[in-house]
Amino acid sequence: MPYLETAQQWLTQSTLLLQARPSTTRITTKYTIKPIPDPSNPDRSKPRKTKPSTTSSEPASVPTQAPEPIRAVLILKTYDPVSGTTLKYSTTKAAEVSRLIQILGRLARPMAGLPEVKEDVVMLDGGEGEGAHTPLVESAKPAQNVAGGGGKKKKGKGKK
Amino acid sequence: MSKGHLSNDEFFVRLSSLFDERRQKDHGSVYLTQKRLSYDKDTDVESSEQQFPDLHPTAPLPILIRATNGKSKDNKAKKVKLSTVVESDAIEGFFAKYAEVCKGGMSGLKKRDRSKAKEKLKAKKRKQAAGGDEVKK
Repeated sequence: MPYLETAQQWLTQSTLLLQARPSTTRITTKYTIKPIPDPSNPDRSKPRKTKPSTTSSEPASVPTQAPEPIRAVLILKTYDPVSGTTLKYSTTKAAEVSRLIQILGRLARPMAGLPEVKEDVVMLDGGEGEGAHTPLVESAKPAQNVAGGGGKKKKGKGKK
Repeated sequence: MSKGHLSNDEFFVRLSSLFDERRQKDHGSVYLTQKRLSYDKDTDVESSEQQFPDLHPTAPLPILIRATNGKSKDNKAKKVKLSTVVESDAIEGFFAKYAEVCKGGMSGLKKRDRSKAKEKLKAKKRKQAAGGDEVKK
């Protein structure tokens, strides 16, 4: 279950997966708030990833740690149950939400069997009409365009 | 509630309240899923000459959107399940609205930009106080 480093990478890989397996791949977005560590209930307060070796030896040390100020996490997961492919991306930044939903919208296109086109106007015309011929336009080209454009955006935000 | 799909608009209303419900507690999750709605679309498989007919559907397929609060097992009674179907020509509009609802609902995430702007403002003020030549804004 690899976590990809950037949303852009996640988009690129997910696009490829969706193009290969459009009818079985699903995307799950999980927005979760972790519980505040509770001194009276150390087992629950523990983050899931802690090693099992520490469970019995020193449960008292856990409550002493200051609770993290940010407990909310947003995790995107693309999963194809047939091939078992899983792609994940996780963030804690509110600023990324709207862009990530935009990405979800973009990924919905190959999912629906629509070609990936940036010009919305052109697509609307095609979609409203017959729509029967449009899926055949699908190719690898748009994926590359998407990758280039998104990459620049990311740099523009300039996070340190 | 779990019977059948909601209309897109009603889905957004329910999704907002799902986010609000989560906010009332100190922890919890909201799960959103999207996948192709390919139910009873099996006619393509037999008639098509292509090896992978699902790669080139004869017509665009709708998308199924699901939302739950992830309650299961012991808490199954509290489980909230929402679902809606987005037609392929409505994707653009749906996701624009979806983004707004999610942005409003996922309020627990770190608001990076504001804190940074504040720090910068503070730094500026300090500079101004030290230098004294610049005019306050």
